[in-house]
Amino acid sequence: MSPSVDTAQAPVLEVSGLTVEFPGVRALDGVDLDIRAGEVHALVGENGAGKSTLLKVLGGVYTPSAGTVRLRGEVYAPRRPSDAHAHGIAVIYQEFTLFPDLTVAENVYAGREPHSRWSRGIRYGQMRAGCRELFGILGVNIDPDARVADLSVSEQQLVEIAKALGADGQVIVMDEPTAALSKEEVERLLDVVRRLRDEGRSVVYVSHRLEEVFAVADRATILRDGRLVRTLAIAATDEDKLVRLMVGRDIDSVFHREAVAEGRVVLRLDSVSAGRHLRDVSLDVRAGEVVGIGGVAGAGQAELTQAVFGALPLRAGHMELDGQRFAPSTPADALAAGVGFLHEDRKHAGILPDLSVRQNLTVTVLDRLRHGFARLLSRQAEERTYTEYGSRLRVRATGPEQLISELSGGNQQKVLLARALAPGGRVLVLNEPTRGVDIGAKAEIHALINELTAAGAAVIMVSSDLPELLGTSDRVVVLSRGRVVGVLEGQDRTEENVVVCATTGRRIGVAA
Amino acid sequence: MTSDTALPPAPGAQAPAPTTETQRRWARQHSIGTLWETWGITAVLVVLLAASPLLSSDFLTVANLQSVLRESAYLGIVAAAMTLAVMNGTFDLSVGGQLALVSVTTLMGYAAGGTGLAALVAVLTGMVCGAVNGALVTAMRVPPFVATLGMLFVFRGVAYVLTQDGPKTLPYSEIGSPFVKIGGLNIAGIPLPFLIMLACYGAVWVLLRRTATGRRIVAFGSSPEAARFCGISVHRIRMLIFVVIGVSVGIAALTYISRVWTADGSAQDGFELRVIAAVVLGGTSLKGGKGTLIGTFSAVLLVGVLNDLLVSRGVDASYQRVVLGCVLITALAIDGLRTRFAAPGSFARMLPRRRREAPAP
Repeated sequence: MSPSVDTAQAPVLEVSGLTVEFPGVRALDGVDLDIRAGEVHALVGENGAGKSTLLKVLGGVYTPSAGTVRLRGEVYAPRRPSDAHAHGIAVIYQEFTLFPDLTVAENVYAGREPHSRWSRGIRYGQMRAGCRELFGILGVNIDPDARVADLSVSEQQLVEIAKALGADGQVIVMDEPTAALSKEEVERLLDVVRRLRDEGRSVVYVSHRLEEVFAVADRATILRDGRLVRTLAIAATDEDKLVRLMVGRDIDSVFHREAVAEGRVVLRLDSVSAGRHLRDVSLDVRAGEVVGIGGVAGAGQAELTQAVFGALPLRAGHMELDGQRFAPSTPADALAAGVGFLHEDRKHAGILPDLSVRQNLTVTVLDRLRHGFARLLSRQAEERTYTEYGSRLRVRATGPEQLISELSGGNQQKVLLARALAPGGRVLVLNEPTRGVDIGAKAEIHALINELTAAGAAVIMVSSDLPELLGTSDRVVVLSRGRVVGVLEGQDRTEENVVVCATTGRRIGVAA
Repeated sequence: MTSDTALPPAPGAQAPAPTTETQRRWARQHSIGTLWETWGITAVLVVLLAASPLLSSDFLTVANLQSVLRESAYLGIVAAAMTLAVMNGTFDLSVGGQLALVSVTTLMGYAAGGTGLAALVAVLTGMVCGAVNGALVTAMRVPPFVATLGMLFVFRGVAYVLTQDGPKTLPYSEIGSPFVKIGGLNIAGIPLPFLIMLACYGAVWVLLRRTATGRRIVAFGSSPEAARFCGISVHRIRMLIFVVIGVSVGIAALTYISRVWTADGSAQDGFELRVIAAVVLGGTSLKGGKGTLIGTFSAVLLVGVLNDLLVSRGVDASYQRVVLGCVLITALAIDGLRTRFAAPGSFARMLPRRRREAPAP
C-alpha cells in the first residue's frame, strides 16, 4: 500500500531454501522469503501452512534442517531465543513473555536495566523516561509504573512491542497479534505497525484476518502446506485472489445463512444481571435460530454465556428453558439440561491436553456412557460417541486415542464442538467458534451451525469477527458495557450498525 | 501417559527391517518418551531384579522375596491412593500422621474388642481423617498443601496425646491371634499384605480407568479451568480423593501394625514424603493429568528391593534415605532429558526410510 517501497532495495532479512523437518512431517519445504527495511510483510496461509514454524526459526526456537537465513548479508543461524534478541529480531508470540508482577518499565528494560556506575542501583527515572519516549514513538499512552498484570491484553501487547523497539529490534515479527483484540484496539495496533514501518523497522505480520493484511501490509507471502506459493505486492491483489492462493481452491468467503422457519422459544432470559457488569439483559432464542452476540471485547459477552451455562450465578432476573424455569447452579446442571458450551479460550479453558481425543469428546456425557450393575464406563459406548460426533465434524486425527494436544488448532476446535454437541445439541452456547481456525475448518464449522439449526437447535454465538457475526446469525444482539444496546434484524443487520452500537452505545432496535 | 492403549511393542518393531503396516503405524504413533513414561520404571525394576544375584547371593530366596513384598505393602497401598491425588494435581501431606494415629487407635480397638473391632476402627479412623482433610479443602477452601500440612501435625499430635502413658503395644500373649495373621500369613507362598496391596491396585485401577469419577479426576488434573467448563465439580472429586486416601491408610495400617505390634506418635516419621516420592518416581507428573498406576506399583517395589539389597550388603540404614533421594532425582533428571524423545514417531525415525512414500503427517 505504501508507495514508498523501493523494490530495488536490498533485503534486511533473506531466507532461502528453508526446510524444517519433524518426524514424518516436512513443516517447511524450501521456502524463500525476503524482508526489506521499512516494510510490513504479511505472512498468510491456513493453519498448518508453516507460518508458526517459520516464525520459530527466526526466533531461534527451531533449527532448520536445510536452507539459510541472512541478516543484512550475514548468515544468521540462531541456536536459542537469546541469539535472536542479540541480532535485533524480536518475535512477539501469542503468549506474551512479560513478567506480570513487574511494572511496565521493568518489563521493557528487563535484562538491560540502566544502572548507576557506582552503586549499581537501577536508574528508575531513566527507565520511566525511556518508556515514555518509546510509547511516544508508538503513539500510545501507558503508565510506565503500572503493573503489567493490571493492563489489558492489547496494552500488554504494546508493552511487548515497546520492549522490542527499546532493544533496538530491527525486524519485529508478530504472530496473530489481533486475535484477542477489539476493533478499536486493532486500529490502534495497526497504527503502531505503520509507525514502526515509518521508523524504518521491518514488520513481519502474521494474521488470519485478511482485512488487516490489506489495511497495513506492503507485501504478502502466501504459504501452503509448508511451501511458498508466492510473494506479491498488496496493491496488486485483492482478497479473493489471496484467499484462492491460500487454499488453492475457490472458497466462497461470504457465509450463507440458510433461512430457517422460526420455531418456538427455547431459551428465554428475563432481565438477567450477572458478574461484574452484565445488567438487565432480556433475550429470546428460538429453535432453529442463531442469535449472534456482538460488542467490543469485555462488553459482557463472557458473562452472558457463562450465566446461561451455570458457570456464573445470576445477580438478578431469571431464565426459562422450554417454558420451564431454568436456574443452573453449576455447568453440570446446564449440561444435564442439554446445553452445550464452547469456551473462547481453547488452549486454557477448552482442551484437556493430557487426554485423548476420545476422552476429550466424551467428558461432558460420561454419565450417559455408564452401563451394567457397577455403572462402569463402556468403552463401546465411548467409541460410538466418538464415531458419531467425530465423523460428523470431520475431525482429522490418527484415531480416537491420539492426544488432543497433537492436533492442529482447527481440529482441536472441532473436537471441542463435538464435546458441546454431545449433551444433546438443543441449546448451544458458542464463544468465538472459529477463532484461530484456518479457512477450511471455518467453513466446515459454519456449515455445521447451519445443519444444527436446521435440525432445531437454538444457538447463541459470540464472535468478534464481524463478517462471521453477521453472516452466520439470524439476529445480532449488541452489548455495550453489559447492556443490550442493539437488536439488529433484517436490513438493520449491517457492519456499520454493529460498530455504531458497540462503540457509541447508541440504541438500535431496543427501547431506551 | 493417560491413554490406556499403550501396548508393549510387538516383537520386531525395533528390529532393523520392519515389514508390516501395523508395525509402521505402531512406530509412528508411539515414541520412546511415551513408552518410558508408562513402562520405564518397570523396566528398571526388571533389570534390577535380573542383576540382584550379582549384588547379593541370598536375595533370590523365597523367604527374602516374601519379606520384601511384605515390607513394601503398606507404602504401596497408600501410594496407590496417592497416585489419584497427584494425577488430580494435588497431594496429601498428612498420611504420615494418619498412619501413626490409625496404628494407635487400631491397637486400642484390638485391646477393646479383638481383631474385628481393630479392623473396623482402622478403616473408620482413616475414613474420618480423610473426611476432615476433604472438608477443609472443599468446605473451608483451604489449599490442599496447607490443609494437609496442618493436619499432619494434628493427626500426629493426637497420636502422641493418646500414647502419653507409653506406646500402645500388642502383648506377646496375642501371638496366635488372627490379627497377627493379617501381616504374617502367606497364601500359596505369597504374603497376605502383598495380596491386599494387589487388591487395592485393582480397585484404584478400576476407579481411575473405568469410572466416570476417575476420568473426571484426570481431566481436572490436566486442566482445572477446562474441567470446570466440562461440568466437573472439583469439590466432589477432592472429597472422594481424600476419603479414599484415608481408607487406604486404614488398610495399610492394618498390614503394618499387625507386624510391628507397637505404635506411638512417632511411628513412621516421614512416611508422607516416601509415599509421594514413590508416586513421582513412578512417573506421575506433579502438575497433574499424567501418570500410571503400574508406574507407582513398580516404583514401590523398586524402593523395597533397593532397600533390601542395601541391607543385605551391610549398608547402614541411614544411607537408604540417601540412595532413595538419589534414585528419585536421577529418575526425574532422566524425565527431563526424555522430553526430547517424547514426540510421536521417534520410533518411526529409527525405521529404515523409504524414499518414495514419506509417512503421512
